[in-house]
Amino acid sequence: MAGAAKRFPVRATAAIGALAALVLMLAALPWLLSDYALSFMLSVMSYLVLTVAWALFSGTTRLVSLATSAFFGVGMYTVAMLVKLMPLYATFAAALAVGAALALVVGVLTLRIGGMFFVIFGFGLSEMIRQLMVWWEINKTHTMGRYVFVPFDATLIYEHLLGLAVIVFFVGWRLRRSRLGLALLMIGEDETVARQVGVNVPFAKVAMFVVSAMFITLTGALMAPRFGFINPNFAFNPLVSFQVVIMAFLGGLQRLWGPVLGVIPLIVLSELLQTEFPFWFSVLLGLVFMVIVYFLPRGATGLIEDGWAALGRPLEWPRGVTGPLVDAFAWLSRPIFLPRGVAGAIEDLWLKIAPRDDEKR
Amino acid sequence: MAAVLEVEGLTKAFGGLVAVNGVSLSVAPGEVLGLIGPNGSGKTTLLNLIAGTIRPDAGAIRMDGEDVTRLSNHRRVRKRINRTFQLVRMPANMPAIGTVMAGVLYGAGERVRFKDAGYVAAGFLGELNLLLKADRRLDQLTYIEQKRVELARALATRPRVLLLDEWLSGLGPGELEGGVSVVWSLAAQGMAVILVEHVMTAVRALCHRVIVMNAGAKIAEGPPEAVLRDAEVIRAYLGDDDARD
Repeated sequence: MAGAAKRFPVRATAAIGALAALVLMLAALPWLLSDYALSFMLSVMSYLVLTVAWALFSGTTRLVSLATSAFFGVGMYTVAMLVKLMPLYATFAAALAVGAALALVVGVLTLRIGGMFFVIFGFGLSEMIRQLMVWWEINKTHTMGRYVFVPFDATLIYEHLLGLAVIVFFVGWRLRRSRLGLALLMIGEDETVARQVGVNVPFAKVAMFVVSAMFITLTGALMAPRFGFINPNFAFNPLVSFQVVIMAFLGGLQRLWGPVLGVIPLIVLSELLQTEFPFWFSVLLGLVFMVIVYFLPRGATGLIEDGWAALGRPLEWPRGVTGPLVDAFAWLSRPIFLPRGVAGAIEDLWLKIAPRDDEKR
Repeated sequence: MAAVLEVEGLTKAFGGLVAVNGVSLSVAPGEVLGLIGPNGSGKTTLLNLIAGTIRPDAGAIRMDGEDVTRLSNHRRVRKRINRTFQLVRMPANMPAIGTVMAGVLYGAGERVRFKDAGYVAAGFLGELNLLLKADRRLDQLTYIEQKRVELARALATRPRVLLLDEWLSGLGPGELEGGVSVVWSLAAQGMAVILVEHVMTAVRALCHRVIVMNAGAKIAEGPPEAVLRDAEVIRAYLGDDDARD
């Protein structure tokens, strides 16, 4: 017991040291990389924040939110609208306030809806804000977009996003060791039970939704100076929402570091797809999503954990190396037996693949 | 003894069906109150109303004289009313101790740091002989163990009024004895227990008082021997099988 208590701080210090070294290394990247590599790292970092922030709410409560692009767009567009009126950091603060207020309203409005309806609501919200902004810009301000020219280059954006990533990871790490995190997991499992242990379900849900949305909004705000010209259709791009969901699922929601494994391959993939097959991009992305959901239900982290568990298990060869060989030979040398002909064999095989309900029993 | 929970004229209708019709009852600390009656007589609905799972149309629920009728489910948990469910409700992808920890952290007990919640929760599981199953998930537990985990979850919130919805049903004879002694010891610790039950041996062994319900209304109340001997009640509401034993 005493040994464990003594060893723990050493391990914790080592872990913190390693993470700090990693962050410092990442912080030094802009001076080491080419412009293209930096822009790649920018997408990675922004999607990393978005995905981890998304998972804070959706990963625990299992309410799949497609409102990511709404908050991302609100952040980006608030900065675009205010950038000529106030200093840049003030626009970030304004964006954060708008995003939080919107999340609060949306959170309270959607408290009672769940499942499919919540998904559609998030998507609809984003589209509604986009159309509203298009209408506003055309009819009221007579512009179709806004210029954001500020001395806030890719390096600065990257460093800010890195800082935000550190914060969002810290929040996620704390959440997993907190009362609220446990409450959110219970809500994801069964709201009735969550209420019955004394969890204030509406409060927990809205609180986490707002925190998650604030990170997403701030990411959008930070990304605004990256693009000189911003219009509503660009800011409220629904693809952002879908990509975040795909990345989170690919990485796996069980672990905090899951998104890292989801974001990087998908950014690489979308870079490839967008340059090689620009017209097929969405179709291929959809296919990738289906493959992930079917074959990797626990994401890449699940795969790695299974592999790790398999490595830790002692190898078992109760019948020696020759055992499997004997089995294989026995299987291969079975007499072919087709009492109902080839058609019957195909039928049997089909039943094995897709058993009918009445045959299962 | 002064009643800890008082229910007055509780009424709930689902559309045209009046599930609970003007039921009043009270229960004192250390008392075990049985709710019996045929299927569909409104026992579970009454339990749901007291626990706050659903809201009543009329009537009042008082805890220590304090009106809790309008309080939501989680507030009532902190007012120290908790329950188990007829069909076990337990998070499927969480170890048993997780649910109990949530009860420790959010219930009416004294504030516990997250780090210490696991130890407190282990204590509750240990009392129900579940310590070695603390890391099991729902599908790795037997039916009885699931029921006990659910009870541990309820106990972790430190209830003074415990509502058990057919918690003793579906147990074998040996397990029934264990279950009865668990409920008995909870009452001995001063908890007020209301149990909905079809197992008459358990009702006879445990309950200080029994309320018979039919079609949403209370039709009889008294000590179990007297109520269960009332031939009228037996034949009409419990069926002929029970009338014989």
